[in-house]
Amino acid sequence: MPKRIAIVEDEAAIRDNYTAAFQREGYSVDAYEARQPAMDAFSARLPDLVVIDVNLKNDVEGGFELCRELRSQAPDLPIIFLTARDSEFDAVSGLRLGADDYLTKDISLPHLMARVAALFRRLDAMQKPDGNESRLSRGELEIDVARMVALWRGQPVGLTLTEFWLVHALARYPGHVKNRQQLMDAAQAVLDDNTITSHIKRIRKKFAAIDSDFDAIETVYGMGYRWLVDS
Amino acid sequence: MNLKRQLLMVSVFTLILPWAGCEFIRETESALRIGQQQMLSGTARAIAESMQQYGERFPGQPVNDDHLTGSRLYAHSLDAAPTIDGYSDDWPIPATAFGSLSGTDGPIDYALGIYRNQLYLYARVADRNVVYRQRNGSIANTDAPFADRITLTSISPPSDAQEFVFSAEAPGLVVAYRVNRNGFRSEPLIRAIWQDGAGGYQLEARVPMSILGSHLGLSISNTDASDEEPVRQATFNTRYPGRLVTAVRDLQSVAESIVQPGMRLLVTDRDGWRIGEAGALTQPTSREIDRPNPWLSLIYGALVEEGTSDAFAEPDPSGRERQPYVNEALSGTAAAGWFRSPASGTAVVSVAEPVVVDGEIVGAIILQQGTDAILSLTNESLARLLNVTLVATVVVAALLLGYATWLSRRIRRLSIAAENALDAKVSPGQLPSASAGDEIGDLSRSFSNVLVQLGEYNEYLRTLASKLSHELRTPLAIVTSSLDNLEHEDLSDASARYTARAKDGADRLRKILAAMSEASRVEELVKSVEVQRVDLSVLVSQSVAAYRDIYPEREFVVEAEPDVAADVAPELIVQMLDKLVDNAVDFSAVGEAITLSVKRDDDRVLLGVHNRGPKLPESMRDRLFDSMISVRDADSDEHLGLGLHIAKIIAEAHRAEIAAENVNDGVLFTVHLWEGLQPR
Repeated sequence: MPKRIAIVEDEAAIRDNYTAAFQREGYSVDAYEARQPAMDAFSARLPDLVVIDVNLKNDVEGGFELCRELRSQAPDLPIIFLTARDSEFDAVSGLRLGADDYLTKDISLPHLMARVAALFRRLDAMQKPDGNESRLSRGELEIDVARMVALWRGQPVGLTLTEFWLVHALARYPGHVKNRQQLMDAAQAVLDDNTITSHIKRIRKKFAAIDSDFDAIETVYGMGYRWLVDS
Repeated sequence: MNLKRQLLMVSVFTLILPWAGCEFIRETESALRIGQQQMLSGTARAIAESMQQYGERFPGQPVNDDHLTGSRLYAHSLDAAPTIDGYSDDWPIPATAFGSLSGTDGPIDYALGIYRNQLYLYARVADRNVVYRQRNGSIANTDAPFADRITLTSISPPSDAQEFVFSAEAPGLVVAYRVNRNGFRSEPLIRAIWQDGAGGYQLEARVPMSILGSHLGLSISNTDASDEEPVRQATFNTRYPGRLVTAVRDLQSVAESIVQPGMRLLVTDRDGWRIGEAGALTQPTSREIDRPNPWLSLIYGALVEEGTSDAFAEPDPSGRERQPYVNEALSGTAAAGWFRSPASGTAVVSVAEPVVVDGEIVGAIILQQGTDAILSLTNESLARLLNVTLVATVVVAALLLGYATWLSRRIRRLSIAAENALDAKVSPGQLPSASAGDEIGDLSRSFSNVLVQLGEYNEYLRTLASKLSHELRTPLAIVTSSLDNLEHEDLSDASARYTARAKDGADRLRKILAAMSEASRVEELVKSVEVQRVDLSVLVSQSVAAYRDIYPEREFVVEAEPDVAADVAPELIVQMLDKLVDNAVDFSAVGEAITLSVKRDDDRVLLGVHNRGPKLPESMRDRLFDSMISVRDADSDEHLGLGLHIAKIIAEAHRAEIAAENVNDGVLFTVHLWEGLQPR
């Protein structure tokens, strides 16, 4: 049975383009142009993944509102924000509401498809029994590539998909400097320098919440970042 | 010239007031004088007409005989008889009234006077060697032994001349001899005294008018020895002397009866010789004489019309009136003159009127009056006017100065406040004088308006890029998503090519939009800036390693002092360096060096990025770091003038100063960071 994806987007052209792209990938797509029709449909039956635009016509923060309501109904439902609003503040707000990813509309369709697929993969992996073959261990860090989960000192670090891929790209080859372009490619996103800086900052904070002495990610000025492993 | 000085200069114009006052007084004075003069002229005309009936009393035309018209002698009317003693100290005439001849040994001074039909003669002769007449000496003095002597020549045309000779045998009483065609004899009616003095002798004599003719001359013969022919000097060069002029008794008494108090009336014959004099001018009162306020009289002299000195108003001591207005009257026209005493300011108005009998001018009368009344009026009002206007001028100047100070302070405060508001680029609160109702208030309100609008405009410019990029992002998403979908359709080769081109274009558009929104994102980022102690030397060195990869066609030089640490947000500092280096690369040529420097400067750290290349235009220096400002050529793409703006935002987030300056061989951008950044 094909996965069901719901798109809430007020701009008809984009909605239709995304619908066509998802359908081509074999997903079943329901498209809504406003919050209320979407909520009505979701209360009847939840989709497997939701793509939400923050700004819904006159409902300026309607996407956030929808995310909040949806999250209260379904804590594990993958939610992706896809918006023209690229400000740091909006990104943080969206992620705080429990969204799994916050993407700007710059993203190309293939990238979007890859991300959606990755989210589904993570979802599937979570439901499968633990398998060791996809694990990566670097000192205190453990990464379950299949489930896309990172652990520090055995505790899960709540990373978003983008963050997870950044950590994965860094930790895969410890000591190697990864420049911004490489990190961008790893995250399968078009991110500018500032966004990567913000992501790294957030990642450090999330690790620091578990271990206040966390300093495994080193900045190499002008070049990028690298993962340090205590010898 | 500032406002204060301008108004002070304007206040100087209040000095027009005293000037106008003086002008008015001068006008008044001359109007009064002219009025007095006209009144005097009327009186003079009446007197002249009444004099016509005494026409025959005026001395007649000289006999038409050229050889008789010699120089005339004038006999002053004496108020008292001088004692005949050889000394002139009791003569009631001024020293200036003495006539003078130049003798061989020095001046010869003489005077003639008439008192009660007696002619008085006084002569003082300078003589090195007085030679007395020897007892047997000739009276005629034509042969040796010669002697010094004085001769009165008298003639009544057409009768013959006769001479009265004074020749002393010794000082003291002199016997006068009458000499005529018939010989000589002593004249007992004449009393004369000869006195020797220092350097000469004096002779004083009294001669009854009855034995004298109408014409009279005086001659002095001087010799240095009895055997030496004497040299003769005379008051006449012609063969015979001119008519003796003296007051005509009838005219004198007529004048005395006519003249009014405070006036002086002079009567002259047709040649200007004074033949009658009556009355006296009012002397200035002692009060006025006592009060010659020196500075007042100075100003008075400068301001009030100046006249000829009043000495010329006095009767001419020589006996002949020679003032121009008198000459005019003698040629037939009534004329007037006026005189002013330089000491007291007293003026004398004088009019002359011809006396015409049967169409012939026989003489003139001169009527004079002082102008005391006018003077005191002028003096007092002038003093009052000067005082009042001086005080007024000072007060006005002080008021204007104070007002100008207040005004210029308001304007200066307004201009300073406006400039501050302009520099801060924030909309100002209330500017000074904003509630004032005058033009400065208007100006202040206009300034406020302009500044508010400027602030709004700046704000609009600042946010324009991010707003624009935000608004363009959705349509761009439509384009890119459509193109992405299109790639999955069956496309001909040509369609695929065009689609690829469209994607390229969309990608470039995306990059531009990203650059445009970068500034606003950096602004957000710096709001939550978290500083940490970073070794900037290491930071710069590491960054340069990256720049060498990115810009292989430039040479990078690092001049870093070791261990220069500061509290900064390293990612932001790197981003700022990126922008400065990007700028330096754009403005330098291939192969040229770009120098990055790190220096400690007291408790500050100086970051510098230097490149060789064209200088910055001076006009752009201040605006270089503003949003959407670029000095690049218009054709360079993807540069919206945001790079340096972002650098500035980051610098300001660190409370650092960023500046650009032209140096010898290029441009140097500097950032002054604080070593320890205290949280705001």
